[in-house]
Amino acid sequence: MLITANWLKEFVEIKTSAEELCDQLTMLGLEVEDLKYFKSFSSGEDAVIKLDITPNRGDCFSVLGVAREIAALNKIPLKLPKVKTLNEQIKSPFTIKTHEAAPRYVGRYIDKINIKQKIPPFIGERLKLCGIKSIDPIVDITNYVLLELGQPLHAFDADKLQGSINVRFAKQGEKISLLNEEEIKLTKDCLVISDKENCIALAGIMGGKDSGISNKTKSILLESAFFSPYVIRGRARRFGLQTDASMRFERGVDYNLQKTAIERASDLIKLHLGGSFGPIQEVSKKSHFPKKKLISLDCTKVNKFLGSSISNQDILKTLRSLDITTKPKKDLDKITCEVPSWRFDLSIEMDLIEEVARLKGYDKIPPKSLKSLPRKNSEYKILSLDKLPFLSLGYNEVITYSFIDEASARSCAAVDSLIKVSNPISSTMSVMRPSLLPGLLQTFIYNSKRGSTDCKIVEMGRTYKRTSKTGVKEETYISGLISGLEEKAHWSERSRKASFFGLKGHLESIYLSCNQPVEFTKASHPFLHPGKTASINLKGQKNSIGVIGSLDPRLSDIYDLKEDIFLFEILAGSLEKDISKRFKDFSRQPAVHRDLAFVVDKQLESVKLIRLISKNAGKNLVNLEVFDVYEGKGIPNDKKSLAFALTWQSKKRTLEDKEVDVYIRKIVSCLSKELGARLRD
Amino acid sequence: MKISSIRKKALKTLRESHDLSELSKVHKDLLGKKGEINILLKGLSSIPIEERKSVGKSLNLLKVELQDAYLTKAQQFKDDTSLDRLSSERVDITLPGRQASLGTLHPVTSTIRDISKFFTNLGFEVVLGPEIETDYYNFEALNIPEDHPAKDMHDTFYLENGKLLRTHTSPVQIRTMQKKGPPIRMICPGRVFRKDSDLTHTPMYHNIEGLVIEERASFATLKGLIRDFVIDFFGEKVELRFRPSYFPFTEPSAEVDIKWKKGWLEIMGCGMVHPNVLKNCGINERKHHGFAFGLGPERISMLKYGIKDLRDFFENDLRFLKQF
Repeated sequence: MLITANWLKEFVEIKTSAEELCDQLTMLGLEVEDLKYFKSFSSGEDAVIKLDITPNRGDCFSVLGVAREIAALNKIPLKLPKVKTLNEQIKSPFTIKTHEAAPRYVGRYIDKINIKQKIPPFIGERLKLCGIKSIDPIVDITNYVLLELGQPLHAFDADKLQGSINVRFAKQGEKISLLNEEEIKLTKDCLVISDKENCIALAGIMGGKDSGISNKTKSILLESAFFSPYVIRGRARRFGLQTDASMRFERGVDYNLQKTAIERASDLIKLHLGGSFGPIQEVSKKSHFPKKKLISLDCTKVNKFLGSSISNQDILKTLRSLDITTKPKKDLDKITCEVPSWRFDLSIEMDLIEEVARLKGYDKIPPKSLKSLPRKNSEYKILSLDKLPFLSLGYNEVITYSFIDEASARSCAAVDSLIKVSNPISSTMSVMRPSLLPGLLQTFIYNSKRGSTDCKIVEMGRTYKRTSKTGVKEETYISGLISGLEEKAHWSERSRKASFFGLKGHLESIYLSCNQPVEFTKASHPFLHPGKTASINLKGQKNSIGVIGSLDPRLSDIYDLKEDIFLFEILAGSLEKDISKRFKDFSRQPAVHRDLAFVVDKQLESVKLIRLISKNAGKNLVNLEVFDVYEGKGIPNDKKSLAFALTWQSKKRTLEDKEVDVYIRKIVSCLSKELGARLRD
Repeated sequence: MKISSIRKKALKTLRESHDLSELSKVHKDLLGKKGEINILLKGLSSIPIEERKSVGKSLNLLKVELQDAYLTKAQQFKDDTSLDRLSSERVDITLPGRQASLGTLHPVTSTIRDISKFFTNLGFEVVLGPEIETDYYNFEALNIPEDHPAKDMHDTFYLENGKLLRTHTSPVQIRTMQKKGPPIRMICPGRVFRKDSDLTHTPMYHNIEGLVIEERASFATLKGLIRDFVIDFFGEKVELRFRPSYFPFTEPSAEVDIKWKKGWLEIMGCGMVHPNVLKNCGINERKHHGFAFGLGPERISMLKYGIKDLRDFFENDLRFLKQF
């Protein structure tokens, strides 16, 4: 909300500079967002103050409301504008009936207005400075009163109304054309003003087009009403019609202000536009006014709660400065408070404690350190990637959006498992990601377009899947992508490209560091190359904890990617470190090393050989490595050669070559029998 | 042959050897099993008995002298070779080393980690919760009723299944209060979502919120905790202020500003937990009270590292990420 410093000073006599004034406002909780100086032709040096009024303070949406706060803070009196009461000159042709949802409705008929008259320039200037467009003299005056007092007013062209005025709820499907040229269809929970025939305004939000003021208007019906916040809330937003009026009504307007406001407006109209004035027609449903709030306050609680030491007298003085009436109870520490009609935000003891703290100043409460307690084991253990060796392996952590485009989502999960956003910010962010892989791929594309195709990225975050109509499964995954060169060319060594086995090695190292050996089995995944994909499981456990593979080349084609891309996605929980790590004694005896190479069918998986070798090598085999895979010259076309380096070592004694020879013979004969493997010469 | 001439000749050949292998050959010819000196020693028996003793003594002395000369010369050759080797093996140490590319943590993650560390050291527990939430946990339980203008402060993403994306991590506080009850010291970091996208807003960002419910919790200890945190994070010299604000779930509520360059900069919100919130969580609001606070790791990261554009955090440009 915008107000000017000089306007404010008409309500409170203060000599402080605009800057100091802003400081005071901010420290009262009326945050000043901007301050602009300017020279007014009507009131000299002035400043426009932009305030961010929090939704609880409907009472501060006016110069009067802001002035009240300044007056309370500085303990000075508030000056209200002098309003002349105009006597009834003519009869009103309208009868007015109101509804419980509009507990007070004040109307005034004014005839013979000269709409061609110009409003005084200071009104136009202030409206403009406060961000309100000048429309016609009558609307300008009602807007001026709105800004000044916070009471929304509405003027109907009286010649366009038929008979009696009635406040009622709309009929289902009833239509109204509004001042903004929009026609809307109403529901039963919308409060409207109607004449004998039609809906003439959407109560507290916007007037109707047909009864609006025009340059031919001669007589008006001025409306100043109190609509209960609950009948306005939600409606304006539903129709996309946040107006200066609705904003104030839904936060709460002082229910004792209506008559003052209509008199203030009458006075200005009389002064600048002339006219004959009808009576002030007030109808009310007093029992539906907001309940008078009596709050009991325990002064000892104020200090206990705030950690302050404010005297009872000081507490009383502070509350009274806000027009909160206080009555002491028998117990001297306890008082009963009555809240003024404009404060919709004060209803419990805590609210009053805040008022005391606010007016005394938060800076007056001495800070006290919180004593530390013993540390707790917590979920933080699995929260951060830096607990794992990803960084030492050269990965850069990324954070991608939790929502992705639908096509990408469909490329890695079943359609019926997807969760869609009803009001996405764009179609590229319309589905909750079922996997982190599409986000990583987009990150790669983003960077490769900017010249970096050497990419090694990792993300840890949730995936979201539908499990039933409303059921949702959120799981935390760690996913990574590598592409381009893993090891750049250096004058001393050749470069090394990212590869499936490089990535597999990273995962093996990472799981090893967590004391969790893993196994890989051939698998398929919609995002990955059918021949270069593996599922991962913890050794000895069946369920898959992740997947690794090369990007499906069909996807590479879609995105026009030339580079080989390798990806993995693993459940974060599978990396929880085995904290029970214990030292295992190692053998200090000499080891025996042997190399064995076998020629086998090209399609045979190495794991089959490895299992059989391990099974036949005795308990002293301590290491087995595949050191060569060869196809080509010297090997038949449908065969390949696999070479293994084996190490035996006993914990107790030196092994003899003879013993190892026995194992070698066993291995060779078993592999030959079961897999048709031939020892390579 | 006279011993003296043998000596002279032998020393000369030793001295004039050109390299280690020539020297070894000379050594073998002179001092080997079948070398000149040994042959002479074997021949002692053929000379007259009265000379035999003195000749034998001279020959043995000569043997020792030649062996010494040989060792000295050999050492000289070895020294020369290693010097040659060292000088030929020199490298250009100004050539660049082969760097291991070390990875980096996202600045938001490291900021969350740094912030969490301060609080966990004080005995706060880190708690996580769902990112897809219900209206109840995100709004209602937090004293934000349907249609209330306060709800307009949250531009919420709704999902087709009727749920929503949490707009703050406060639902985690609600869940913890309902599950655990007082006393509580917790922080809840995580992703949050608001339907907003421009220079200063991204539709997803992070939150760290904290909650303390215990006997000693007061507005003064809230202020003390926040002050200690801000000093821990921004240093002893930082100036901060608390100013009144409004959140439906706290009363009184405050914004915390720090002095930054010339003006004040808002860094977090906090307040005493609203009695309605305690009531909603099954905590007796007459017996217990506490405070809560919340801050945005992106904002803190921007201050800490001098990052200007919020959107950099989620564009994941490697030139950005590799700097942290």
